[in-house]
Amino acid sequence: MKRAALTLLCLAAASAQVPYERIVNAAREPQNWLTYWGDYSAIRHRTLDQINTSNIRDMRLEWVFQTGQTGAFETVPLVVDGVMYLTAPEGYAFAVDARGGRQLWSYKYPIPAGEKLCCGTINRGLAILGDRLYQVTPNAHLIALDSRTGALIWDSEIAPSSQYYGGTLAPLAVKDKIVVGVAGGEWGIRGLIDAFDAATGKRAWRFWAIPGPGEPGHETWSGDSWKNGGAPTWMTGTYDPDLNLIYWGVGNPGPDLSGDVRKGDNLYSCSLVALDADTGKLKWHFQFTPHDTHDWDANETPMLLNLKWKGRDRKVVAQANRNGFFYLLDRTNGEFLMAKAFARQSWAAGFDEKGRPKPLPNIEPTEQGVRLCPGVAGAANWMAPSYNPATGWFYFPVREQCDVYYAEPPVFVLGKPYWGSTGRAVSDEKEWGLLKALDPVTGETKWDFRYFRAPWGGTMSTSGGLIFSGDEDGYFMAFDARTGKNLWKMSTGMAIKTAPITYMVAGRQYVTMPSGGVLLTFALPERTEPEAKKPAKLADQAPPRKPSSRRIE
Amino acid sequence: MRITLLFLLPLAVYAQSDAGIAQGRAAFRGNCAFCHGLNAQGGRGPNLVSAPLHHGDTDSDLKNSIKNGIPGTPMPAFSGFGDDELDHLVKFLRSLSGAAAPKTTLSGDAKAGRDVYEKNGCAGCHRIGLSGSVFGPDLTRIGAARPVEYLRESIVKPSADIAPEWEGVTVVDNAGKRTTGVRINEDTFTLQLRTMAQKFASFSKQELRTLSYEKKSLMPAYEKLAPADLDNLLAYLATLAGGAGNTVVKEVETRR
Repeated sequence: MKRAALTLLCLAAASAQVPYERIVNAAREPQNWLTYWGDYSAIRHRTLDQINTSNIRDMRLEWVFQTGQTGAFETVPLVVDGVMYLTAPEGYAFAVDARGGRQLWSYKYPIPAGEKLCCGTINRGLAILGDRLYQVTPNAHLIALDSRTGALIWDSEIAPSSQYYGGTLAPLAVKDKIVVGVAGGEWGIRGLIDAFDAATGKRAWRFWAIPGPGEPGHETWSGDSWKNGGAPTWMTGTYDPDLNLIYWGVGNPGPDLSGDVRKGDNLYSCSLVALDADTGKLKWHFQFTPHDTHDWDANETPMLLNLKWKGRDRKVVAQANRNGFFYLLDRTNGEFLMAKAFARQSWAAGFDEKGRPKPLPNIEPTEQGVRLCPGVAGAANWMAPSYNPATGWFYFPVREQCDVYYAEPPVFVLGKPYWGSTGRAVSDEKEWGLLKALDPVTGETKWDFRYFRAPWGGTMSTSGGLIFSGDEDGYFMAFDARTGKNLWKMSTGMAIKTAPITYMVAGRQYVTMPSGGVLLTFALPERTEPEAKKPAKLADQAPPRKPSSRRIE
Repeated sequence: MRITLLFLLPLAVYAQSDAGIAQGRAAFRGNCAFCHGLNAQGGRGPNLVSAPLHHGDTDSDLKNSIKNGIPGTPMPAFSGFGDDELDHLVKFLRSLSGAAAPKTTLSGDAKAGRDVYEKNGCAGCHRIGLSGSVFGPDLTRIGAARPVEYLRESIVKPSADIAPEWEGVTVVDNAGKRTTGVRINEDTFTLQLRTMAQKFASFSKQELRTLSYEKKSLMPAYEKLAPADLDNLLAYLATLAGGAGNTVVKEVETRR
């Protein structure tokens, strides 16, 4: 008996905080936010309803955490058992008390002086596994931190920053591995997805997003164009534990706007790839935009849903693509099920039965410029969508913005942007944005809420019947998931560049939104006395009593 | 075979030297044409071909203006351009000025133009230095910032081109009160205008019955201005180059 108790104690002391099994079942602990997406499927829905459609109007600012950093604040914090972990630009990571916003530790990755950074120092967040946090650095390293102290445990290079590889994404922890991608698609990199051993920091496998000589798909690149063909992998993927498949979006081919130097489909640019989580071997791929010349990366969220499709239960992966179409694919085999336009688009006449687009004429960028929708930033982008199981709808921000596309045949020079046009597109009309609710089975719009500007903020859904999102004017907002009615808003003073999260500590639900250089956390007002004690309405209506005299007696 | 090669060689050399200009043209169209016009003869921004350049016209002056922008003007810094790209841009601009670009000659009398400016009440909306109204565009350095043809159009047909920051908006609130002004800010939920009275007006969109964007400029069209008056006025406006005498900084210093 004594021995058993001792063993139990030892186990408790040694047991890691977030084992893999907890992440697999992340949806069962809505009080926490265990991955970049909240879980492996990326539905970004939490079964918390303390804050709901009937009381959201009372939600107010609870605490503010100042990072002291400027630049786009694109992080999505993790919350584990009352502690929040987040990143900020310039290599920062913080642990914060999720109830009160007090700092517990901070860490700064020492970015080597003079380092060439393709993509600035923005960062989208951490992964947690066991007692460790994993962070990607601006110069394309993966580091492991002790989640209890913020101390550095190991530092591994993903790919050389001297070749302009960069890192901006939150890693994905799967079993005993940490999976990451790279940024640098405008700088002539060759894209890749890497898995590292979580314990040692040693590389476990690599998937080249551009196949090398002798590999299938290599023939889709003319000449040596594959060597600097881009295909970056700069957003976190999703994972299906039952199929043991990782779903990862691949970005644009390079040079972005000038395709003549890279004739062919340019696999696996602008594709979704499904990889075996243990080996990194390609199971299937689907290319949304073959031979893209409009910078329409496919790094948008590959959300995993189980839906009834034409009378049959299907495991699908849904993506609102930068090219203006909402896609449904069978995630077991990559079969194309549906593509529906969700924004103005002027480049595709339709699709064949395999989902290959039929391009319209005169859509290629030219020296004089070609006006086309969507614009260079896409109709959707990396901003997170969400899915509400009660409505069965898909909620996401839409950018209604068209561009004039200019092209110029480029020469690759290491360290120079490899765009294929010295200039980016010029807009010839006022942009706007939408928060859209869409039925993922039919692709039909259920409601739209119009934003003044094209947004860069993601969404979150709760079982309180609410959709949360932020816009480019800096409004943080809550909407009725069913009607699209704006129920609550606050002007945060800086454009919102990421998606909110929600969590619960000690019986209170919180909602957190990063904006500018600060992390804003909201909650319902805390009750000072139990509600049952005062007959609420009557007391409010009762005339003010004459004080004092009676008390003196 | 050899003959063909020999024939091709000079072509290749020509193509290479032209390439700088072509690259410069592409860069110009993608980045500069929006303000300076497709052929750099001006628009919302100054004419870069046939008008004097107020911030230096040597190659290095031009590159400096592009790379660092021009403080106090709408010209932003294009710090992303590398040295060779700046070379291409300057090459392209030089290739234009060599061509027979029409030089603008002004026949009017600037002194008489100043009277036209005063007589027509331009200062009721515009400002030169510290005198006049902040409702309309500041004209302190308008002669340096806009080509004369653009100014002529702006006076006679002010609605022909309206920069986004001067867009006029008219709102009617739920009580039926109508307000027109220049849009200072608009977002998903609110609107802020500057009114003719030089005051800010703030609106919540849900309190508005209508919100309409003026298709026309808020400035009246001076189509009936006598041709001589117009020429004189243009001559006057062309002299306005933001000289030290009418900058705010100077004024503050003399007050001390």
